[in-house]
Amino acid sequence: MGVYICTGCDIGESLDLEALSKVAASEYKVPVCKTHPFLCSAEGAGLIKQDIAGEGVNAIVIAACSPRVNTDVFDFPDVFVERVNLREQVVWCHPANDEDTQMLAEDSLRMGIVKAQQAELPVPFQAEDISKTILVVGGGLAGLTAAAETAKAGYRAVLVEKKETLGGWAAGLKNVVGLQPPYTELEDLNLADRVREVEENEKITVYKNAQIEKIAGAPGMFDVQIRQNDNLYSERVGAIVLAAGAVAYDATKLENLGFGKYTNVITGEQLEEMAGQGAIKRPSDGKPVESVAFILCAGSRDKEHLPYCSAICCTESLKQALYVKQQNPEASVYIFYKDMRATGNYEFLYQRVQKEGALFFRGDVLGVAEVADGQLVIAAEDVLVGEGIKTEPVDLVVLATGMVPVTAIGEKLVIKAEDDKGAQEEAPADEIIRSNILNLEYRQGPEVPPLKYGFADSHFICFPYETRRTGIYAAGSVRAPMDIPATIRDATGAALKAIQCVELTAAGSAVHPRVWDLSFPEFFMQRCTQCKRCTVECPFGAINEDEKFNPLPNPTRCRRCGTCMGSCPERIISFKNYSVPIIGSMLKAIEVPEEDEEKPRILVFACENDAYPALDMAGLNRLSISPWVRVIPVRCLGSMNLVWIADALSKGIDGILLLGCKHGDDYQCHFIKGSELANYRLSKISETLNRLALEADRVRMVQVSIMDYDKLPGIIEEFAGRLEEVGPNPYKGF
Amino acid sequence: MVTVNPRFAEKLKKFGAKTSTECFNCGTCTAVCPLVEEENLFPRKMIRYIQLGAEEKVKHSVEPWLCYYCGECQQYCPRQANPGELMMALRRYLTSVYDWTGLSRKLYTSKAWEVLSIIVLFFATLGVVALLHGPIVTTHTELETFAPRHIVDPAGWLFGGVLSIILLINIYRMYRLVMTSGEQVKIPWSLYVKEIFTLALHFFTQRRFLDCKSRRTNRWLKHWLLMTGYAVAFILVNALSKWFLTNEFLSVFHPARLLGYYATIAMLYVTTDAIIGRLRKVEPVHQYSHSTDWMFLILLWLTVFTGLLVHVFKYLDLPLPTYYTFALHLAFTVPLLGLEVPFTKWSHLAYRPFALYFMRLKESALQARARRPQTGVTASEIGG
Repeated sequence: MGVYICTGCDIGESLDLEALSKVAASEYKVPVCKTHPFLCSAEGAGLIKQDIAGEGVNAIVIAACSPRVNTDVFDFPDVFVERVNLREQVVWCHPANDEDTQMLAEDSLRMGIVKAQQAELPVPFQAEDISKTILVVGGGLAGLTAAAETAKAGYRAVLVEKKETLGGWAAGLKNVVGLQPPYTELEDLNLADRVREVEENEKITVYKNAQIEKIAGAPGMFDVQIRQNDNLYSERVGAIVLAAGAVAYDATKLENLGFGKYTNVITGEQLEEMAGQGAIKRPSDGKPVESVAFILCAGSRDKEHLPYCSAICCTESLKQALYVKQQNPEASVYIFYKDMRATGNYEFLYQRVQKEGALFFRGDVLGVAEVADGQLVIAAEDVLVGEGIKTEPVDLVVLATGMVPVTAIGEKLVIKAEDDKGAQEEAPADEIIRSNILNLEYRQGPEVPPLKYGFADSHFICFPYETRRTGIYAAGSVRAPMDIPATIRDATGAALKAIQCVELTAAGSAVHPRVWDLSFPEFFMQRCTQCKRCTVECPFGAINEDEKFNPLPNPTRCRRCGTCMGSCPERIISFKNYSVPIIGSMLKAIEVPEEDEEKPRILVFACENDAYPALDMAGLNRLSISPWVRVIPVRCLGSMNLVWIADALSKGIDGILLLGCKHGDDYQCHFIKGSELANYRLSKISETLNRLALEADRVRMVQVSIMDYDKLPGIIEEFAGRLEEVGPNPYKGF
Repeated sequence: MVTVNPRFAEKLKKFGAKTSTECFNCGTCTAVCPLVEEENLFPRKMIRYIQLGAEEKVKHSVEPWLCYYCGECQQYCPRQANPGELMMALRRYLTSVYDWTGLSRKLYTSKAWEVLSIIVLFFATLGVVALLHGPIVTTHTELETFAPRHIVDPAGWLFGGVLSIILLINIYRMYRLVMTSGEQVKIPWSLYVKEIFTLALHFFTQRRFLDCKSRRTNRWLKHWLLMTGYAVAFILVNALSKWFLTNEFLSVFHPARLLGYYATIAMLYVTTDAIIGRLRKVEPVHQYSHSTDWMFLILLWLTVFTGLLVHVFKYLDLPLPTYYTFALHLAFTVPLLGLEVPFTKWSHLAYRPFALYFMRLKESALQARARRPQTGVTASEIGG
């Protein structure tokens, strides 16, 4: 082992380096311990490389800057590198040449050395019989695009469409709004060309009139069974693009707007079909229409129906208003809307429709009533004049209904622990909707868990195109309501994510967000008690079960967050470089002063994704942080095992602060449920703490985002203040 | 409940409201308008009424008269819906609504009516001059002999009287429409007298023009020059015609000549400036011209110009040119006054101050009512 202390960037001037080196050399008997004034220079890195070659050093502790910087400089093949953050988190946020700062630096070094002693270099998981084929589920615009893009990138694609023809919803469109200046013309989508491109592509296998019977396996090795007519086909694929689309909201639920009650009330889809066939006529008597009212948000942005905006209905209706005007420029067109969401270049379309004389009404539609001859009168509240208005009798009412993702349709299942032991309380479980699309053979249910309203999304800003099942990427309106250009972009993005996935899987690496990570969880099965905690809590459904409830890990489904490791009461789940004992040893390496020294200790478990960078930012901004803290980064708070808290408290550490991401509806947790699960676990230990005559206040969890760096000193100070009130940990010195 | 009437906007197009459907009701116009007060929000509300076809609401509105068309809204409108011009069109429309003869609507909506009316009045006036003029003295200029005051004055008074009666009836119709909108309140007679100051103030100063932010002093000054120029000319021609319509040659410093020069220069300058402005179309107020705008400007310019020529010819002692240009001057004056004052553009000289007067009456009455204790509630009831 080698310890290298950099003295640049204020470190040398702020710390007693001799004493620090002594920690490594004397306390831990590290054979190679060197300081260098500029370790990240070519000369500094060269020094380390020399030792690796000459001295046979294979585990290195670099006590310098944050592990988040200079990763390329301190990257040595086949050598375990541990970084001790002396710069951002010690000298930049604590007073120089201070006793407490020195103690902090020494403890940090101890933790680093201990970790380097215990951790092993990860050996990447090598799956067998890896496939790099991409399965595309759904042959609509998104599916066609994803398959075509996959093929263009040189990968094979398998496309499964349940209908007899490809094209999906877009095939029913007469025209689309022009995507070139002036953005106001109606154009042909040329979908037939896209269909031909896919059908004639030798890299794409198309199954029409087909459904997925089941999908077993994991990224790189999904085994898919496809039922086409009465035949069953098997395909092995590496990743999946879910592009199953959406359907229009069921208009029969909109009787308040006259659908089903009056013949001349139709949906936008019906109008599109009629326009595609020729003239727009009144269903009641087939006369060409002379006046049409469009009701936008029909059953959308409405608590009783779809609470969300479907993104396309405004522009679709504007386009259809032009159909009416093309047929008869003198026709009256009334458009009732809540907000005109004609975003981006659709604004030009909106303007054109206004210019062509359509009348717009903002406000709630109060009702639709039939008058003589099948004509209809619409009453509405016009918010702009604050009064009720009603139309003259119109020939046709068109309801712009929103979109429902197909993943939202089906029986709702809550996958529980089914815990026959009954002793463990259940962690919050996900709802899965049995929509009969993917039919996954996963312990956590047959489909992907929806994010909101049944859409197969996770957190687009942080994880574009990802679902909560690794290797399954959602695109198009099954992921979120979107228009045609967005669908094309989405499908392209998802196809590329799928390709990334198969390539990373083949290299034995995790996928986003830990793409550099070659470690994976290993289970020491002899000690497993079949409690199912890990199989239930894994946010990505990575762990299946056998019939005896033994966990069956799927390393390629794993995102390496360590939530299973945190959940396991038997602590049998470990990564080569991250495990319960490694972190346990690190916290045990902290020197806890006697009570009369009045130097309390606060252990901070900081999530690597936001909290740890926020601490770095605090240092970067030279904010002053309490000297009592000792920070241990964790992959996710979900990986926090309760035994660490017990260990820390029994060591005499006064308090434990968990810094993790926001959880709940607008979660920012990089592993979706990690911080929520940590919070849940914490709620279970207060009782235990009380039993040990320890105050539950000693453990606190705070949700922070990276932008909260300026609040961190205050958060820590406040916690330290509370601990002072509680008094020193009675276990000190035991 | 308003029933939407898509044909109303169509009808208003003839009055110059061509862009109402382009408005998407954002309200930027109302936000930037320097004249908007909390009780009187425009132009957005008025444009929305146009879009809805709420004709009755428009008829009862006073707001169009509160706009002085600075054009600020036009410059900020994100949709090029020209709110200022729409307000202008509503003023034209309201003028036609107030007018009981129906001629106003014809003049605004039909170019044929407009041109024919001018031609008819022009030639009719020439005809009347041909029939009734006095002896033509060609040795030297005797204007009063050519146009005897005992004929010109009564004819002028008769003409003015008829126009005034028509205009007064129109003002009364405006009063009925404006006062029956919104909250109803009884207006005590004393208030009509008390607030007469408001009427006079706005009639003589048009001071609200000064609140228009852009180029305010400039436009107010030009407008005021035109107004005073016209007023001076009007007084000279009617009340002081013995100075004006005379065979005598007055000294250069005679008040009649000085006042006459002021009126001529003021009107000629402002009308010429406006004509150039409307041709250049730089200022928002000049970008959109209705045919009646041109009619007004051209007739006024020709009237003033021929008036000036009469003066020049007279003082050069050129008898025949003096008489001919005088006949022409009358032939332009009659359609100008006859068509503009009660029926089209010039009627705003009355409608604008009266709009403010009526509004003030109503506000004061409402305020007075708010200050009065509620009737029907006795002290004991409150106490109990």
